[in-house]
Amino acid sequence: MIRRRHLSRLRLPLAAVAVAFGLALAAPSVLAKGKQPTKGKTDVPRLDLPALKKQLAGSEEDIVAALRTIEESGNVEGAPLVTEVLARGGTEAIVEEALKAAGKLKSSSLSPSIAPYVQHRTEEIRRAAARALVKTKGPVAVSTLSKALRSEDASVRGTAATGLGELGARESIKDLFNALDHGVAEAAASIGQLCKPEECEEFAGRTGKLTFDVMQTGFDQILFRPATEISDDDKLKLVGRMRELGTVEVGKYLTDVGERWPKDWSKKVKQAIDSAAHAAAAGAKK
Amino acid sequence: MTARLRIAGFLGGIAAVACGASSLRGPAFKEDWQDDGGRAIAQVAARLDSTRLPESKGLVVGITKTGLVGMGLDGSGKWTHAGLPDARPSIAGGVVVFTAGGKLVGLDGASGRELWSVSVGDKHLRGAGDDGSTTVATVAGVSGGGTVVVAVARGGSVLQRWTPDQDVGIPGIAGTTVFAPWDSQYVSALDVATGDEIGRVLARTVVSRAVSIGGSLYFGESALVKFDSAIAKSARGEAHIVKLPERELPGKPTWFPSGVSVLPTNAGAPDSIRFYARPADRQGALGLDSERFAATYFRIVVGFNAGDGALRWTRTLPAEVIGGDAVTGGFAFCDVDGDVWFTDARAGGAAGKTAFGQPLKGCIVSAGAYHVASAGDSGSLTAQITEAIELRDSQMATIQRFLLRELGTNESDPGVTKTLLDLASDARTQPEVLAEARTLLAARRNGVDFMLTALERHYDFLSDVLRPPPVGPLADALAAVGEKRAAPLLAAHLNDPSDSPNDVRHAAHALLKLATPDELAAVRTFFSLYHSTANEDDLIAAAVDAARILVQIGGAEGTSIVEQAARDPLTVPAVREAITSFAPSKKG
Repeated sequence: MIRRRHLSRLRLPLAAVAVAFGLALAAPSVLAKGKQPTKGKTDVPRLDLPALKKQLAGSEEDIVAALRTIEESGNVEGAPLVTEVLARGGTEAIVEEALKAAGKLKSSSLSPSIAPYVQHRTEEIRRAAARALVKTKGPVAVSTLSKALRSEDASVRGTAATGLGELGARESIKDLFNALDHGVAEAAASIGQLCKPEECEEFAGRTGKLTFDVMQTGFDQILFRPATEISDDDKLKLVGRMRELGTVEVGKYLTDVGERWPKDWSKKVKQAIDSAAHAAAAGAKK
Repeated sequence: MTARLRIAGFLGGIAAVACGASSLRGPAFKEDWQDDGGRAIAQVAARLDSTRLPESKGLVVGITKTGLVGMGLDGSGKWTHAGLPDARPSIAGGVVVFTAGGKLVGLDGASGRELWSVSVGDKHLRGAGDDGSTTVATVAGVSGGGTVVVAVARGGSVLQRWTPDQDVGIPGIAGTTVFAPWDSQYVSALDVATGDEIGRVLARTVVSRAVSIGGSLYFGESALVKFDSAIAKSARGEAHIVKLPERELPGKPTWFPSGVSVLPTNAGAPDSIRFYARPADRQGALGLDSERFAATYFRIVVGFNAGDGALRWTRTLPAEVIGGDAVTGGFAFCDVDGDVWFTDARAGGAAGKTAFGQPLKGCIVSAGAYHVASAGDSGSLTAQITEAIELRDSQMATIQRFLLRELGTNESDPGVTKTLLDLASDARTQPEVLAEARTLLAARRNGVDFMLTALERHYDFLSDVLRPPPVGPLADALAAVGEKRAAPLLAAHLNDPSDSPNDVRHAAHALLKLATPDELAAVRTFFSLYHSTANEDDLIAAAVDAARILVQIGGAEGTSIVEQAARDPLTVPAVREAITSFAPSKKG
């Protein structure tokens, strides 16, 4: 199992590949010649903003194409244009493309213009908006996603719960617990990412009340957090709690954790994990 | 009391009939009977004028899985009788009558002791009457026909047995005269000794049963004709008659079931949906006791004013009512749990209960001479209706809608608004009740603070608010009273996808009247989000109203937004068309 944080790290180069691939297909007329150097980062294609602006005043197809160009460029210079489109509103196709572009640009300046769309009546739009906010980040994203935990749309709730964890929104931990208790399974991993030791213990207290497949997403986050955040003693307690369950599922999970455990991390915890995995597997056989 | 049939005059009456009306005597149930202008029945009435039928102290009989249980309405003298009847038993005076195994059986209602048993073959009981010394019963085939009317003395001897071709309803008896209703319009007065018919009532209302109430005899079904000195004028529609005011009620309750049917042993829906009323002399005229009649609908009982049929009270009982009777001063309702609940007739207050302590399959109540004491404070009608409406039982939805409409007629009580709001905001409210509550809410013009508080709520999954408030009706009501405090609350609902498009439409429309510049941001957001995505009439209308608001109070910026949308080919055509009519076009 790969930690979610690790996954997000992997996505960056993939995104760069996608942008590069997209560039080849993008409408060349609105891409300025050459690349625009940005502060110490990979070069991103320059945008012909006046041309894009003109295109954004055209037909639905023109607008979608312009947004796609901005999206594929990954150039934050396009952010004001995306903001403008979102503020003005448009057809579903336009809004969805604008949200995609916003997510790709990852600029927190876009979050305020994305936020209202999390409340849109069209489920595809509000879900895309929630996903975009996770990428654009910032205080507006956090407050909007916290509010989105209360949504009627289960998918939006799930995205919001996951996003709050990814955004490190410590201030949302109470809402996440509440969401978890209301069956928002995605909240478990985010709690695992954000909890302080006593909160992690509170989370672990739900073992047996919530299904293990939900709990393990949180346990995984807790176990792989650095010892500076969660002490080895706290991790040992968590492993002990899982050991008490003694199910095949726990055995399999802890075996997997043991395999992924970084070599230079606590030997004591590793030993406890292996021992618990072994005990759970043996107990389950009986 | 003119109606009383005093026994004292009985013997003299017989002599009068024997001497003066012998020519009227003839075979019972003659089809070729000629209306004699009421002469014969007048003589019968005169003879029985002083006779007062005896009343029990009030009895209730339940049908259990294994037999019958009985007791006084005061809870005294509980008894059981093993063995199930084959039709609904009847309480006639102090005698409990039923058929089982080819026998017609009479039990002493006070003790359950068997008084007599006579053979009736394959016939089943329709109903019975009793005058304190003789019981008369009609038995028939289950599917009708083959009627036998039998009069049985207390000792068990059969005094008379009639086997008419006609379908005879439930009989009554006074002195030695049996009153047998038939053909929906006649009541034949039959002499027990000879079997002859000695008079006949031609009623102008459906008559299928005789019933003894308060010592007097009545005939009828959906109305009751009193057997008294005016009975001779019955054919001219001038007899003393009591009817219930017309009320369209859920389930179409009846006062009495048809007397020419054999009722099943177990109670069914018709037994749970009934009217109850007790005729009584009121200032020389025939009226209803306490000026009230009641209707049951399973667990809910409603009380009406006898004069105009106006709703006076309602009572919610813990279990389904399956039987009952109107008693002096109130009503007695028997439920499936074996409890008998007494209700004060005037205000519907709880006036005590008695219990069998076991579930019942059927229940028969006979008020007799029982009196219900007046109850204490029964709460306001609004509170009573609220309790009935808040009952979460899908079977109650129809009566609840009725009660809601009644509640809505109370225009002055803000508490009514709160009740309607609670119902309309509760996820457990039945769809029919919800629709009615919303309609009534829109028409409310008071309880504004309750409305504003309700609007502050939004759907909130984490707080278990799983039904948004009734934004549309509240918008209508608050706009009608010009409540500006509602504007920010309504604006916040514009962009809440948990509110229905129709609610949003009404919110936008109300904001046309109520919005201030403080609401512009929400209105602008709504217009941006939906002018190109509105895909249904309600959202289109809401987007158009949002545009109007932007033009009205949004200044140059608001106007510009609408102008742009009017020119934008991506704006939904219906929205564009509408806003073009009021968006100032940009010159040049």
